[in-house]
Amino acid sequence: MDKQSKATKKLPLEGIRILDFTVVWAGPFATQLLAEWGAEVIRVESTKFFPSTTRGILARPSKELVQQGGIGGYPDADPGERPWNRAALFNVHARNKLSMTVDLTTPEGQEIFANLVSKSDGLIENNAIATMERAGVSWEKLSKINPEFVLVRMPAFGISGPYKNYRTFGSHMESLVGHYSLFGYEGETPEASGTSLFADPASGVSGALAFMSGLRHRRNTGKGIQIESPTAENFANQLGPHIVGYSMTGVVPEYTGNRHPVYAPQGVYRCKGEDRWISITITDDAEWDELCSIMGAKELSQNSEYGTVEKRRMKHDVIDQAISNWTIKQDNIELMNMLQDRGIPAGAVMNEKDAFEDPHLQERGYWEELTHPEAGTYKYPGVLWKSKAIDNKLRRAAPRLGEDNEYVYKSILGYTEAEYQKYEKDGHIGMDYDDSIQ
Amino acid sequence: MFDLPLSGVNVIDLTRNTAGPYCTRLLADYGASVTKIELPDSGDPSRKVPPFFDNGESGEGSSLFMFLNTGKKSLSLNLKSTRGLEIIKELIKDADILVENFRPGVMESFSLDYESVNRVNNGIVYTSISNFGQTGPHRDWKGSDLVLYGMGGPMINTGHPNKEPLQLANYLPSFHVGATAAAATSIALWGAEQSGEGDWLDINFFETLMGHIDRRSTSLLAHQYDGTISTRPPVAGTPGSGIWPTADGGYFYTTVLSNRFSSMAKMIGVEHLLDDPLWATPAARAAPERVDEFSAILILWMLDHTKSEIRDAVEKAGVYGGPINNIGEFLQDKHFEERNFFQQIEHPVSGSLTYPGYNFRLTIEDQEEKVATRTSAPLLGENTNELLRDRLGLDESEIQSLRKEGVV
Repeated sequence: MDKQSKATKKLPLEGIRILDFTVVWAGPFATQLLAEWGAEVIRVESTKFFPSTTRGILARPSKELVQQGGIGGYPDADPGERPWNRAALFNVHARNKLSMTVDLTTPEGQEIFANLVSKSDGLIENNAIATMERAGVSWEKLSKINPEFVLVRMPAFGISGPYKNYRTFGSHMESLVGHYSLFGYEGETPEASGTSLFADPASGVSGALAFMSGLRHRRNTGKGIQIESPTAENFANQLGPHIVGYSMTGVVPEYTGNRHPVYAPQGVYRCKGEDRWISITITDDAEWDELCSIMGAKELSQNSEYGTVEKRRMKHDVIDQAISNWTIKQDNIELMNMLQDRGIPAGAVMNEKDAFEDPHLQERGYWEELTHPEAGTYKYPGVLWKSKAIDNKLRRAAPRLGEDNEYVYKSILGYTEAEYQKYEKDGHIGMDYDDSIQ
Repeated sequence: MFDLPLSGVNVIDLTRNTAGPYCTRLLADYGASVTKIELPDSGDPSRKVPPFFDNGESGEGSSLFMFLNTGKKSLSLNLKSTRGLEIIKELIKDADILVENFRPGVMESFSLDYESVNRVNNGIVYTSISNFGQTGPHRDWKGSDLVLYGMGGPMINTGHPNKEPLQLANYLPSFHVGATAAAATSIALWGAEQSGEGDWLDINFFETLMGHIDRRSTSLLAHQYDGTISTRPPVAGTPGSGIWPTADGGYFYTTVLSNRFSSMAKMIGVEHLLDDPLWATPAARAAPERVDEFSAILILWMLDHTKSEIRDAVEKAGVYGGPINNIGEFLQDKHFEERNFFQQIEHPVSGSLTYPGYNFRLTIEDQEEKVATRTSAPLLGENTNELLRDRLGLDESEIQSLRKEGVV
């Protein structure tokens, strides 16, 4: 396909409008993926309610608190006048999305919302059940307004069952469904393992797939649908082989650190410098011989005690020590390049700086620059997968709170200037959180 | 039987190991008809991954393979033979989706690269899953879940501050990439059905993990904002956050952000702390001494309660936290039992086993759940005869001669 037609080809989800009620990470990742491929994603927000851990952890953190760290990044460590427009936590995923505000706790707000529902294809949310009840989001209600509506709900544990009102972060759902029993340092307790936050991105992907399934259902049947994608149930599938394995053997596995269930050796080895590491996985005997030859460790490759994967597993501690003694003197990026040139699966454990400097990501045009009016110009991880047919690029930076009110109220909902002004006066439309919100 | 969202969608599944099969499993769960192409002798390498139901004695029943391949049909086919290539191209003519996760260049060696497939079927969505992508300087680099999580994912943030970075549960990076490929394929299919033109998707571990929302993407932007290079944070970074031993010998994990400290203080009966200027504000509580002081109080409370008591208490108090369960404990959990989450699926060799239920549940107007019936993972080549007969109209003698020639 020539360049021109590639550039002008429509994105697959153009013309699909999604109301975005998502918070924190899981839900926003779902709408990020859909927005990237052309859906018009409108964040429905309120100037009277600040959902925590979304546009920052606090609406108005002090400069002092921001500089102490641990509260997410702000440009130049300065929360600025409207911190909710400057938080890395939000700005990274809200690219390509729009923002409108409405106070759903009032009857007037509910009328505006009903109008929105009638003019949209669907809604995605990942809130506590009670929060959605207060906002007037239920399948019963929305399907009456728009019988072709696609509602995707991504609650923590589900919209029914004993935990339906149990609020946690994704990391706690992971611990409840067993993940924290499956990763950890050999011989250590869970306290040493640190945390995993993998359920959120997993749930986000599932939410996007769920929405697409909903669109197909609507096209196939002419009817809307409610889809429930609980973070915990979705993540339990990511642990699927461990669940099936347990049902076969009844064995609760012990922590095995960075070792591999089949290959040996595998590990993360310290390199030269502060917090510098390389991961290595040896997947067959030829790679093992090659590694030994690069390390100048003939005694390992020629010793029959290391000749097979089973034998290497028995001697894993000795091997790890030998590899570490060798890697500690070397630069992890140079070592990665050299080992990969020689056909060994190896990778530096990359920090942020390494990632931006990686030549592969640069050459593939992975990083895309966007300019945000209150945060500045920065690079973002680009569209997550490439398409041959469409040269897809990020379109705009994260919306400021209420940035698209005029477009949504007037162009989509058809309100007049006089009505718009009334809604502004009534507290639906605005770009600042109420002064009472800290 | 009601139609599922992907009913009528034909998938040619040229994937092996983990990421690709998870992608096609998700498509099968929501109604797609998935034809898994396997090499005649060995099949999918994941058939050989432990644990097995019988210690591997029968050569069947790998838990990894069994989980990843429910709802699919297996066709054994030698792609290197002329007749094998003809057969797969015939199957591709009627397919909507092709998914493959060979190393870049391998599909070309089979004459099954995108251009060749597109000539046979120009509406097909062709999804390639690889370590580093189909182009670029690392294209041919080797990877593993560990290597790729370390490069692309937030492994630098995973583990203990004083130890080496730590991988997560086996296969998680592969599962994440596979699920992303399923979402990508589904989005591209929607576009292809409207335009009539297919597409080639290039999905890879490195870029998928680099842009996924677990810490990584946020920290990449935060690094540009304020220069932070992130590392492994202590779990107990704020007062009340940590992994705590409990009265019944288990562990409980809590996260208390600066704005939710009062819930935790109330839960354990020390709300009077909030009257003290040392504890009253988020900035005051961010002092490192506060973390240690509060941990000393909280650990005693935790040691006085069981995991299940603590779970009830955090829900009531609005504290974010969860018990650290093993898989056995999770399988006994009342919530998932009440929601009928787990499934038993019968397998001809290994018998009935427990599987997690669907990633998401479809409900129609009457609130009734709509799901595909999962069949157990196929034996190697289990559906070869049936597929050759039904899809390609071959008769018994033609199939026999293909077997003799080693094509199937």
